[in-house]
This record gives sequence, structure tokens and C-alpha cells, in this order.
Amino acid sequence: MHKVEFEQLDETLYHEKLENGLEVFILPKKGFSKTFATFTTKYGSIDNHFVPRGEKEAIKVPDGIAHFLEHKMFEKEEGDIFQQFSKQGASANAYTSFTRTAYLFSATGQVNENIETLLDFVQEPYFTEQTVEKEKGIIAQEITMYDDQPDWRLYFGIIENMYKNHPVNIDIAGTVDSIQDITAEHLYTCYNTFYHPSNMVLFVVGAVDPEGMMKLVKENQDRKTFEDVEEIERIFPEEPLEVAIKERVLNMSVQKPKVFVGIKPEKMDLQGEEMLKHELAAELAFELLFGRTSDFYHHAYEKNWIDESYSFDYSLENGFGYAIIGSDTAEPETLAAEIKHTIANAVEKWPFGQADLDRMRRKKIGFFLRALNSPEYIANQFTRYTFNGMNLFDVVPTLEQIEVADLQKAFSLVSAESQQSMFSILPPEKKEVQ
Amino acid sequence: MFETIRLAKGVNVHVNETTQFKTINISIKFKDKLSKEKASARSILANVLQHSNEVYPSHTALRMVLDDLYGTSLYMDSSKRGNEHIVSLNVETVNDQYLSEEGVLEKVLNLMYLVLFKPNTEHGLFKESVFLREKNAVKERIESIFDDKTRYAQQRMVDLALPEHPASIPANGSIEEVEKITNEKLMEEYRTMIESNEVEIYAVGDVKPELIADYIRDYFHFTDREKPVAVPSMELKKPSQPRVAEFEDMKQGKLHMAFFSPVTFRDEKFPVMQLLNGVFGGYAHSKLFVNIREKESMAYYVSSSYSSQFGLMFVLAGIDGKLEEKAVKLILEQLEEVKKGNITDVEFGQTKALLTNQLTEALDSARGQIDIYDQYMELTEDFEPDYLISRWNKVTKEDIADAAKQLSLEMTYFLSGKESEIDA
Repeated sequence: MHKVEFEQLDETLYHEKLENGLEVFILPKKGFSKTFATFTTKYGSIDNHFVPRGEKEAIKVPDGIAHFLEHKMFEKEEGDIFQQFSKQGASANAYTSFTRTAYLFSATGQVNENIETLLDFVQEPYFTEQTVEKEKGIIAQEITMYDDQPDWRLYFGIIENMYKNHPVNIDIAGTVDSIQDITAEHLYTCYNTFYHPSNMVLFVVGAVDPEGMMKLVKENQDRKTFEDVEEIERIFPEEPLEVAIKERVLNMSVQKPKVFVGIKPEKMDLQGEEMLKHELAAELAFELLFGRTSDFYHHAYEKNWIDESYSFDYSLENGFGYAIIGSDTAEPETLAAEIKHTIANAVEKWPFGQADLDRMRRKKIGFFLRALNSPEYIANQFTRYTFNGMNLFDVVPTLEQIEVADLQKAFSLVSAESQQSMFSILPPEKKEVQ
Repeated sequence: MFETIRLAKGVNVHVNETTQFKTINISIKFKDKLSKEKASARSILANVLQHSNEVYPSHTALRMVLDDLYGTSLYMDSSKRGNEHIVSLNVETVNDQYLSEEGVLEKVLNLMYLVLFKPNTEHGLFKESVFLREKNAVKERIESIFDDKTRYAQQRMVDLALPEHPASIPANGSIEEVEKITNEKLMEEYRTMIESNEVEIYAVGDVKPELIADYIRDYFHFTDREKPVAVPSMELKKPSQPRVAEFEDMKQGKLHMAFFSPVTFRDEKFPVMQLLNGVFGGYAHSKLFVNIREKESMAYYVSSSYSSQFGLMFVLAGIDGKLEEKAVKLILEQLEEVKKGNITDVEFGQTKALLTNQLTEALDSARGQIDIYDQYMELTEDFEPDYLISRWNKVTKEDIADAAKQLSLEMTYFLSGKESEIDA
């Protein structure tokens, strides 16, 4: 077991890669009563075209299958696994993103039992045609619920606008129609391909004894047999740099229009240190341009173009990414034009210097230290970083190395007009607000 | 958990000195009687005060100082609890031992002082442009509830079932009342808040209680004040229409039900209600989840919640627009099971285990510690988890069945797509 101390942060991380390929990380937190654990596979909604384990030909699976599989993992022959966690006083949950499926629990007691339950239920699939059919009604209601949420439609709408071919443009849960095609056989194919321990990370954080926990996990894994480690072949289509749709409008039941401007980054194959540096530099650049101390924010707020729903975000994964800026607004056209104008101005003449960088860097370091109070943040983010070859605890040292020129360079990759798109949601015309 | 130091009559500082967190959290809570007018005015006030002040006269200037203080978060918010309206100033700042700089905490306390005592004024009133902009911001916040159909449906239901009752007064007030607030009225409300509201100050982190108490005593000058008299006007009238259906452009049906219980937070039987809620619909092992979601595949979410301040139990479900009747029937059947005492040992044990876990887990965050301590302060002087856990352990299945028998259905509200669109 490796032990890495981060003195500046007063944290110690324990790590071991087991024989079956599973990466195990343990981070004890002083003074905490609870333990939070995530067991995550590097498999999300975008992995819909791949060569199944043991086969040669690539297949395409129905939209929404990773999320469907996540739901079905909880049902076993002997019953619902939520019940098992409840008995052991643990709150369990799971989520599926574009790139990951995570199973998790938090508990203040019976941690060993709960860890065993977590490992066992994710490593013992049980799918039948009957249980798969039964789940379709539940997931259809989940999809319908999201369909009625304008903020989700807005977020997803701008991603669909930006991406022409990449499966990030497919809703994570699929559609009510697409999930009808899912069978138990599909689920086994996806499970066998992506749930091998070598494609997974276990992260345990909180009131935990690292030696005892590592021993427990190892013994659990040693009791099971796994197939050999194999490289997973995932197939992604070519994606042009320019956006698929420049502008689109959706009408739905909202009190006020909503608009997002999205920008597609130029380099989306970054991993490891290079990715970390670019990501942090781009975040700092967007914070300076669109954050709460920016000229843009001040101007847009005073003019009533944005309200408390205003947000901006930069997100990057292997193969896709996006910057998204927007708000509820009575003037979606004006706001979008102003956002684009702000970007164009920064491209023409870079407005920020050392003092700006230093201020934002302090802000980011403070945010990071605050986040380290949260076991949930640590486990989820650490896993995301690991899947991209980065280390969460490199954030502060990397921030300290970033220079003004890095911000400008990162921003230059996420700024061209052809990479920008606009999506808005308007109230139905009869209800147009004055 | 917290050490309490009294600064004046009605003004207390509570500090939990701990090394558990890398940050220091401070909250100052101003408590007043709840009314629509107060809630509206105080929500604008919270926005105006956090916008800027005499020393940092623009939003940008204030936010830049916070960025410089290692991204210290500072915000004000409006909330309610029972008959009380609460305005809180919350800050979280990094403990300087993790930084190459000292004195961050003093600077942060000074900023809190400026936010509360040196507002951005002109001619004895709040700066007019800030007042108008923030008044509008609160209005927009209230309007935005419509976009979230679950929140909207819940608000519609309590408005219809309990008009003029504190349960239906939103923490941010109402659009009509917000529109009526003048700059003069807001200044009056500000003085009331600073001079006569009950004040509870919390700090959690690696900090000495005396340090916080001394600083606030020396700079904030809070004077004696009376605790607002609790108004027990919480009577429930039978709603005139027990079932209401409304329509909007939407796909899913939102079913909301309200039940009345005579047991509230202050009642001896309060822990029984917490267990009843857990068994009935509070968790993934509950009767509603297992039967309506897992067995019938009718819903993605279906749950109950207990609003202890008002003695109300709510049931929420997202279902197909055509299945209201069936869902109501199934929900009431599950309640019947609880009333009959058909609760398995497993359901009973799981609920106790999860309530305990939820409580101890919540105490692993500084905000959780502050919220829970503040909530239970009126029941016990020094809240410890065992205060509730030992009471949960004494509850029997019969107690739960008896509490369920006292529930009366007050209203069923259903929000769904326009009828012509349901079959589309």
C-alpha cells in the first residue's frame, strides 16, 4: 500500500492497485463520524459504440443503456439492495454521467459490512427480461420529469447544438422510445465489457482505518474470480470543430426566457498534467471574463440582462468539452450578443494581467480548500481526475505555476466564432411576458 | 458541541471550536415574526446588504475583496421556521493555517461588520439604484418558482389549502408585497432587524470562542432586545375544496397531498412522527417507494415529508397524467397499512438506523451543525445526537400506528398537462 502525504493540506492518501486491476484509494478524515465510499466504473452514456469483451466486431447499443444498467444493478434475486444498505444504516445511491457510473453510500456505522455490500452488489449482476421490463415504467417517468425541467432542457439543448456526431449529444437517460429496445442481454454485454475491476476505482473517505480497510477490500476481491485484464475498445465518431447548430429556440412553460451561449473547445484530447493545466487556466480565464467581479457581470446585472439564475461553467472530458454562459433573461438576444461581444473583445485584446491572475488564483485555492471539507466532493472529483490521468491533490501546486500567458493560451482554444452556439427557451407566445 | 456566550439580552454567540474542518464558518441569524410583508421586505434587505456597503460601494468592489481573502464566501439569505422569519449572514473562510498569510479571520469579521452596520446609503436611505435593482431581483426569484413544476405545485397546494397560514408564506414573500416595499419602509425594517431582532451568532472551526465573542462585542454593539413573542395562530381551517386539479404545458403529472397531524415539533410525540414518515414514505425502503415505484413501476419519485413546525405531512409523486386516481388510491392504501400497524421489523429497524445515520452524518458539516443546533435550541440547551436517538429507540410500532390514525387528508392537488395534450 502506498502512502502519500500532502503536508500543506494536512491530508494523507493511501493507494493500491490490486491484482485484478482495481484501483483503491483511502483518505481518512480526522474528526468525521461518517464514511463515504464510491465505486465507479469508467463507463457513461457516451460509451454506446464498442467492441464487447471477448468479441471482435463493434456494436451500437440503445440510447440510455448505461443509466438503465445503473438502475438494474440494485435489483437482485433476493430483493432490492437498497434494503440491505438501509438495514446496515447506510444511505445508498448511484448516478450516471456522460463518462462515469458511480455507486455510493454514506454510513456512520457498520462500515465494513457496507463496503462488502457495495463491492458485492456491483460485482454480481442479475438481469432478467421480467425485471428489465418492469424498470421501463420507472425510467420513463424519470425521463418525463427531466423533460419538464426547463433548466435541464436548456443545458442539454446547448450541448445538442454544439455536437454534431459525438454521443455527448444524446441524453444520458435516453428517450422513452429508446429504452423500450433495451434487453437483459444488452445489459450483460455492457456489464461484462465495462465493469471489469481494471476499469473501476474504489474511493473510501472519512472515519476509516486505512490498513484494516485495504485488507478487507483485498480479501473481498481475492474471494472472487475475474477474467483477465483487457483493453476496452471504444469507438467515437469524427467531430468537426465548428458547432452543429448556431442557433435554436424551444418553447415551453416558463415565466421568462432563458438563454445559454455554448463554446466548444479546440483541443479535446488532453489528459494528465496537460489537461489539468489547461482546465485550470481556462477556468481562471472564464472566471475573469464572466465571474462576479467581471466588467461583463457588472454591466449585464445593472442593465437587468441577467438575474440570480446567471451561471457560467467550463467542463472538459476526453473527447468533448464546453464552456456555457447564460441566464434567465427578458432579453435573450441582447444577452447572447453581449456574451459573444465580450469573447470577441478578449480575443482581440487580452485584458488581464498579473494582479487579476493573483486574485483569481487565491479565490481558486480557497475554493479548493473549502471543498476538502466535503467527503462527497473528494471521492467524486478524485475519481474523475483519476480517469483522466490527473491527481486531485495537484490542483494547488498546478495553480501556483500558472502564468498569465497560460490563461490567454487556454482561452484562445475556446473562443472562435465558429465554435459558438446559442440556445434559448421562450414562453409560449400567448403567455409572453411584457 | 457549542459553547454559548451571552453578549446582551437576546444576543448570543455559540462557538464550536474544532479542527475537523479546513475552514471557519460564521452565521449571524436575525429572527423576527413571520408575515408576508416582513418576509418580502427582509428578502430585499438581505439582497441590498450583501450587494455593497459604505467602504465597498459597488458589487464588484466587495466581491474583489472577498476573492482576495482566498475566495471567502459571503452571502445573506432569507428563511422561515414556524412563525419565525430568519435573515442570515453566512461566511466561510479558509483557516489561515493552510495559507501563507495571517489575519484573514479579522479581515473577514470586519467585512461582516461593514455588511451589517455600514450599508450603502444616500440621504438617509439605501442607494436608490441598488434598492430598485435588488427589489427586482427578489421579484424575479419568486417568479422563477413557476419554472420548477414540483416547487410550483407544492406552493399552489399550500396556498389553496392553507391561505394566510405561516405554512404558505414563502420565505421570500410575495410579488404583491415586494412591489409595495418603499425605500423608506426598507430602512425602517433594517433598523428593526439590527436593533430589536433576536440575534444568534454561530461559529464553527479552529477558533477560540472568546475571540469571536470579544470581536463582536467590541465592534458590533448589539444592545438588549426582547425575544419576539411566539404567535400561536396556527389553526388549520378545512380547505373549501379538498381536491384541486390545474393544468400547465407539461408532460408529467405532479401529485401533491397534504395531511394534517396534531403533533408538532414541540410535542412529546414528535419523534414518533419522524419514524412514521420514514416508514410511510421517507426512504427507499418505505411503503410508498417499495409499492408505488418498485412494485407498480408508476413513478420515479414518490415520497412523504413531515413539516414538523406546522404538523403537516406531505406526499409528492411524479406520475403519468392519467393515473391520478390510481395513485391516490395506492397511497391511501399504504397509509391504511401503517394505521393497522402492519409494519415489519425490517421496516421499523431500517427507519431507526437511517434516521440515526442522517442525523450523525449531518453533523459532519459545519452548516449542518449550525442548522441542527439552531433548530433544537428551544427544546434542549446543548443538543447532542443522543437527544433524538434515545427517543427514537423508545418508539413502538403501536405508537406509529396511533400517530398515523391521527392524520387527516386536507387536500389533494394535481398539476398536469392540458387535457387535450395528455393523449398526444
